[in-house]
Amino acid sequence: MSNFTEEMIDNYADKLLIGLTEEERKMIQTEFDDIEKDMELINDIPNIKDVEVLSYPFEMEVSELRSDDNEGKEIPIDELLRNASRVEGREVEVPKVVG
Amino acid sequence: MIGKSILELHDELKNGKVTSNELVNESLKACHEIQDKTNSFVTIIDDAKGSEVTDDLLSGIPYGIKDIFSTKDILSTGSSNTLNNYVPFFDATCVANLKKHGAVGVAKTVLDELGMGGTGTTGHTGIVHNPWNLERQTAGSSAGSAASVACGVYPYALGSDTGDSIRKPAAYCGIVGYKPTYGMISRFGMFQFASSLDTVGVLTRNVEDAAIAVDGMKGLDENDMTTWDSSSINLFKSLNKDVKGKKLFYIENVCDINNYSNPSEELKEHLNNFKETIKRCEELGISVSKVNIDSKLLNALYSTYVVISCAEATSNMANLTGISFGPGGEGKSPDEMIKDHRTKGFSPLIKRRFVIGSYVLQRENQEKFFLNAKRVRRLIVNKMNELFKEYDAMIAPVGTGPAKYIDDNKNVHDKETRVLEELLQIGNFGGYPSITIPNGFVNNLPVGVNITGKVKDDVSVLNIAYALESTMNYKNQLAREEN
Repeated sequence: MSNFTEEMIDNYADKLLIGLTEEERKMIQTEFDDIEKDMELINDIPNIKDVEVLSYPFEMEVSELRSDDNEGKEIPIDELLRNASRVEGREVEVPKVVG
Repeated sequence: MIGKSILELHDELKNGKVTSNELVNESLKACHEIQDKTNSFVTIIDDAKGSEVTDDLLSGIPYGIKDIFSTKDILSTGSSNTLNNYVPFFDATCVANLKKHGAVGVAKTVLDELGMGGTGTTGHTGIVHNPWNLERQTAGSSAGSAASVACGVYPYALGSDTGDSIRKPAAYCGIVGYKPTYGMISRFGMFQFASSLDTVGVLTRNVEDAAIAVDGMKGLDENDMTTWDSSSINLFKSLNKDVKGKKLFYIENVCDINNYSNPSEELKEHLNNFKETIKRCEELGISVSKVNIDSKLLNALYSTYVVISCAEATSNMANLTGISFGPGGEGKSPDEMIKDHRTKGFSPLIKRRFVIGSYVLQRENQEKFFLNAKRVRRLIVNKMNELFKEYDAMIAPVGTGPAKYIDDNKNVHDKETRVLEELLQIGNFGGYPSITIPNGFVNNLPVGVNITGKVKDDVSVLNIAYALESTMNYKNQLAREEN
């Protein structure tokens, strides 16, 4: 009996705005107990909680302050819109989200 | 001619024996010739033109670009259906830098979807076949880059490496794969997989070409705050074979065949071959020592990688909405449109990775999995840094043998061999420079050896590889389909 229900798997995917087919859901559910068991190996390390996390491979100090005068580069709107799936004039079009 | 090295091609161009246009056309023709067999390319850039030949070693010479990099006015898909119509208006920094050197991109190569795979089988345009044996994998994710360089259609191709995505395909295809120190090359314009691990690099057929190509790409970039100033480093000019007195270590836990209860014949041969390579190092005057690392730490390596990479991927892929770029989804609200786009666009295997990422980031799991994985990462990096105080670099066999069959399922590989299979992920945890070179054959298929060294000491890593390469007969080898 899996620790993971179909609802749980769907919920994890749905939070990322991803839908799963029945086949995909079954594949993930079947594997998930093993995946979790593997991940538990992380917690086998003694006193792991006392260790400081490492988020980046090595210390990277950025000490340079950018000038307030730096205007940055401009990108033509046509370029920005050329890959948008729906465009109206100079704007990306999406369904209305306010009443 | 196109199967020659960068230095040889540069000489031919400078001496007027060939023009850049002729080289580019020869390369394009060669790309088309291997496409049916290997499926290396998403796009062959048929209208590519030669460039002015200068004293710059890269000028006028064609190369391949992993399709994870944005290329101005050229389809850039990440080998994903979520980007199958995306034509950027800008070049990734590494591509722009090569352009400044006069290099000519001629093809966009297939990868595992968005770099999130290690088999070369999950790109949206299909499986990439290993040119040494078409039934075998190239490994991934830089699959098409590795296959095409091994076929000799150009001297080098761009890759990216999050776990071993340059270095394992290099081994499987019998070529060189170099992942420089993290941040040496800008990641701007690359579709990110896991930002704290992703590194841009290159696949070539010899160490010199790897140094030349990375020299042409590296440098500070205001668009990537993790880049660092490497202007004082010239990798190619620093190459020398004087490695006498260098000190290497290997991890005995995973390199000694006696530590495997039921090893395959391929693993036995692979590790025997590794021993021979160690002898070659010793003949060069390099001392090689064995060390043991706490097996609990090594056993947690793969899970640490899975947790960190999948968690970071969930954030990085948030921009794949189908609204600003990519094929648009259907729906009555932006959320519905995005969900439709992502549901249809992502393949099942990549969805699986996203679900893992989502799971470890759930409030109740963050401490237990995500933060603890980052703690294990520190322990592994601390251990490596401690070893690097005494040694110049680590030497390791790449994977557990030659290329696997295409229908092998990487996700269920033997737990006993998993640490060795995934060992190169250490290079990404610490951002270390790391290079794979071919070191022999098992079952008539190439295998590789890897050198991983200290952060920002790419020169030492390349020099050890350069010297070692000169003791073997695999420099500049081209794939021969003989199996």
